[in-house]
Amino acid sequence: MKILVVDDFSTMRRIVRNLLVELGFSNPMIQEADDGHNALAMLKANAFDMVVTDWNMPNMTGIELLQAIRAEPKLKGLPVLMVTAENNREQIIAAAQAGVNGYIVKPFTANTLKEKLDKIFERLAASGASA
Amino acid sequence: MNAMTAPVNDSLPPEVLDLLNSKDGTAFEQALDAMVRQREQHLFRALGVLARDLHGAVSRLGSDLANGGMPDSMVHARNHLAEVLEMSSQAAHRSLDFVDRIRPEAEALSNNANAVLDFNSSETDPAAVLARQAQVFASACCEGLNDMVLVQSWQDLAGQRVKKVVSFIESVESSLLELVRLTGALAGREAPVEVAKVNSQDEVDRLLSEFGF
Repeated sequence: MKILVVDDFSTMRRIVRNLLVELGFSNPMIQEADDGHNALAMLKANAFDMVVTDWNMPNMTGIELLQAIRAEPKLKGLPVLMVTAENNREQIIAAAQAGVNGYIVKPFTANTLKEKLDKIFERLAASGASA
Repeated sequence: MNAMTAPVNDSLPPEVLDLLNSKDGTAFEQALDAMVRQREQHLFRALGVLARDLHGAVSRLGSDLANGGMPDSMVHARNHLAEVLEMSSQAAHRSLDFVDRIRPEAEALSNNANAVLDFNSSETDPAAVLARQAQVFASACCEGLNDMVLVQSWQDLAGQRVKKVVSFIESVESSLLELVRLTGALAGREAPVEVAKVNSQDEVDRLLSEFGF
């Protein structure tokens, strides 16, 4: 499974990558982008199976990336998990309305990440959209 | 004045009352002009003092902003915060490097202990006892390393707050520069191009130099 990790902080990208590897995902299949703009270009150029993105980033935020993904016919079914420090009600509602698949508030535990990923894959399998 | 037939207020100064009662229209107008001019002069003098004070304050502000070497300058503050970000990021990466280095060793220790226990599962043999202890240690070690990785995410959270402060300082700096620009324009100098955002010290210096700061 090819995963794109999007965060402007290299520390956080590395932590998410580390945790994904711990959860059994293949390290070489995980790629990184430092903002939504670069992420979108990578998603358009290559096929990915999932996006794990931060909210607060320069150039293009996580919510803008999510909206751009949902607006792009080729990408609109892509599972998007938000891992962010933004925990106010309005923002969580905005993400839900934009079609986010999962939402994790930082700081989080490996178990929370595993739980949310499992839930995403369960729902995808149930809807028959799983790749 | 002919329309004003109401009685003149007795509380007015005598010279004004005299003027109002005067039949000499020219003298009346001259006296009135003199009074208005006197009042205007007071007002202009006050405005002049105010404008000089404002210009002085903005000049000091301008030179503070232009002088990146001042300890309390905005540029310096932003640089300090950028350094904080960089240092905390380096520290977090070093911790993650350590995890990357130790985790395979912990896993290898666990595998080796398992290999020993595969052919020697005695409860009393020192090698088997040690192997069990090594297994427990390796497992605790991996758990601790996972926690250590997660704890590094606080660098990201702290960093996001620092970035918010940096952007606040940038907006204050922009507003102050806009004030410098406006007062420069009011002082009769040509207004420079719109300052949407000032990104570098060079831009700050260039902008300020247009006003002789």
